[in-house]
Amino acid sequence: MNPYAITGYGLVSPIGIGAEAFRRALVAHSRGGPDVFHDHPSCLDPKIIPQPTAAECFDFDAKHYLGDKGLRNFDRLTKLLIVAAKLALEDSGLKQDGVHKFSPHRIGLCSATAYGSLEAITEAVQVSELEDPRFLNPNRFPNTVINAAAGYVSIWEDLRAPNVTVVDGNCGSLDAVLSSETHLRNGRADAFLVGGGESLSEPLYLAFRKLDVLAEGERVFAPGRRESQGMRLGEGAAYLCLETQEFAKSRGAHVLADIVGYGNAFEPPESQALLVHVSPLAVQRAIRMALSDAQLTAADIDVVASAASGIPHFDAAELSGIEAVLGARPCVIAPKALFGETFGAAGALAMACVLSWFDGVEIGPVVQGKRPEHIEHVLVLAVGYYGNASAVILQRRTATAVVA
Amino acid sequence: MSRVYVTGLGVVSSLGFGRDAYWKAVVEGRSGFSTIESFDTKTLDRTVAAEVKGFSPRDFLTAAEARRMGRCSAFALAAARMAVTDAGLLPKHLAGDRTSVILGTTMGEADVIGELEESWIHGGNDAVLPNKLPLYGSTLLPIHLARAFGARGMVQTLPAACAAGNYSIAFAADLIRAGRADVVITGASELLQKLQFAGFVRLGAVAPERCQPFDKNRKGLIVGEGAGVLVLESEAHAVRRGATPMAEIGGTGLACDAHHITRPHPEGIGSLVAMREAIARSGVTADDIDFINAHGTGTHANDKVEALVIREVFGSRPVAVSSMKGMLGHCMGAASALEAVACVLTVQTGIYPPTVSYETPDPECDLNLVANRAASGRADIVLNNALAFGGYDAVVAFAKPGRLPDPNEAYRAALSDNAAAAAAAVAP
Repeated sequence: MNPYAITGYGLVSPIGIGAEAFRRALVAHSRGGPDVFHDHPSCLDPKIIPQPTAAECFDFDAKHYLGDKGLRNFDRLTKLLIVAAKLALEDSGLKQDGVHKFSPHRIGLCSATAYGSLEAITEAVQVSELEDPRFLNPNRFPNTVINAAAGYVSIWEDLRAPNVTVVDGNCGSLDAVLSSETHLRNGRADAFLVGGGESLSEPLYLAFRKLDVLAEGERVFAPGRRESQGMRLGEGAAYLCLETQEFAKSRGAHVLADIVGYGNAFEPPESQALLVHVSPLAVQRAIRMALSDAQLTAADIDVVASAASGIPHFDAAELSGIEAVLGARPCVIAPKALFGETFGAAGALAMACVLSWFDGVEIGPVVQGKRPEHIEHVLVLAVGYYGNASAVILQRRTATAVVA
Repeated sequence: MSRVYVTGLGVVSSLGFGRDAYWKAVVEGRSGFSTIESFDTKTLDRTVAAEVKGFSPRDFLTAAEARRMGRCSAFALAAARMAVTDAGLLPKHLAGDRTSVILGTTMGEADVIGELEESWIHGGNDAVLPNKLPLYGSTLLPIHLARAFGARGMVQTLPAACAAGNYSIAFAADLIRAGRADVVITGASELLQKLQFAGFVRLGAVAPERCQPFDKNRKGLIVGEGAGVLVLESEAHAVRRGATPMAEIGGTGLACDAHHITRPHPEGIGSLVAMREAIARSGVTADDIDFINAHGTGTHANDKVEALVIREVFGSRPVAVSSMKGMLGHCMGAASALEAVACVLTVQTGIYPPTVSYETPDPECDLNLVANRAASGRADIVLNNALAFGGYDAVVAFAKPGRLPDPNEAYRAALSDNAAAAAAAVAP
């Protein structure tokens, strides 16, 4: 693909809200900073979920960013996404002091989520089942629709170019990159907010507890490491501002890095009875396709921001896929060790980590390999629960790498 | 940039299964409406929907497939099998990484999540069956199809509410044009489910018995369900295997109203951009469009704004317009996919589907409607409108093969127009 410029990013995560706070949290973590996995997240009722272990955006107050008005009917996912979008638009300079500096008709949105708003669906089913469907709140009901949150983002920020919601499980926000690239290439917009979000909710937590994949209590949580005994849930939202080179240059934008390659693949399980499975072959093919898309070779990849979440057989399959294509040389990182599995937001949060690394923050947490002294290209991976995998390559922006 | 052809169609709908049964019912102006049987509608004051009756998954799916998927995926896979057969595609054509599956939906496996939630609410945590949990996740829709056909390229779900079908078709065509796939199985699938039905009723959008698009006395939409699937192929792939193209995918227009979550912008700013883009990116002008398969939901707001937008785009020229929702209901995510199937058949046959139940003209919807009976006419280039919840607008053009100019020229022209627009754009 043609390289596209990343000119800013905005996020809400368990370790920090906004690019600067996120960067500071990564620095703090590299010096042994605090663990954000709580046993009492405020959005999980202990009567319903005894002793959970999860990372929530605990100090997130949408009002602080959006004001008091108009938030009443938003669910948590919508608030997370709107704040991330607002911060990304400001960070990239597309908006200043809340005002669009360029035409919002030319700014698109590509937003991923894996499960949409389970909070809204649960609320609606409770009313419908325990009271009467006649009492459903027509102002809250729209939140049950998967693309409602992204629709609200476009309304709040007045973004009028294509608005795309992508549902692709853990791969969503990387697949959103291809979607944005396609629309930018076809001239449907000059800039795209690309990323996604996921909110922590009781049904989501209970579902993963029921599937027995969570590292709760004494269970070891160590994404990408053999001793790990499960994953932990996080939540958050993140958008990168992706622009055509022409637009970024014409408006004199500060470019943080370029996205230069995308790849994806799907491999079915061998057994007809299986649904959930992981395929090292899909990981390999996604990496190869991204390399070819970026016209790079395996030797060009310095660091891999892996999708390792702590589920042992998933992490092992991913690592074997990485090694099959890239060998043992590149340094492999597990960003999810910091803030847990955030599904729709995962790829975008991983890309936010990469942007911080390019900006001088120490690379980590390292799963294997040695931290390189200099990084030029980072591969970001996502691995789905049903045999799919996606990959994106980010390239450092240096004087020599500027694209005409 | 390759031309993109439609080579196969598949349908699961309240009007019939398979494109022939579906098209026959459409041309005859039959209604797919009936009393809802799949759930209890007491207390809701609305009992009618375009429910798919007599769908038995095992008629289309293996036992293992039927076990591992919900009704929404089963609709999609059944329609996809029909479309693949219709296209004459053999397993050897579909196996491998050059075949992708891109599907749209609004709610996905709404019945799976509905049952899980209900068992949790009534029976507590222990009542939830763990083996049912992985069946939820709209991610699965295209994955089930990819598994069935040995496709190993991109799998993606695009939940763009009631424009999901068109969003998927547009993205699928873009993937082929960008050289990222040779064949894409695309379209959308949607279920009638009680929570969502109740929600639409509470939004005041549901008509009591019938849906009357563009009629002065229209009372709202009738909820529907089903799946429409199209096989899209690159020109080179279609030629190589000797396939006969049914229609060419022309330009596609996507935009966002950024106005209100359930209501259209009063001047239809997003719809206007989407219609104009679809025409411009086809390399033609509004004068070349023969027919519009409108979104026409039968709600007061949609029909009024859509009529306004059509008049704005076409001026005084009375282009033929019709909405199928009086027969098919509003199948939400699947609506524009099912209507896209009809557009392809219109291009093939020169028959415009009727707008049924049309009685009283509405001065606010001053259109050249194909009222009550199907009509024949030129159908070289037709548009499929989808104007959705969340302000998502998507319009796709379909054309007789050989009728459209080279897509490279059309896209170059659209790009330079957009570049000029961008240069002229200033902060509002």
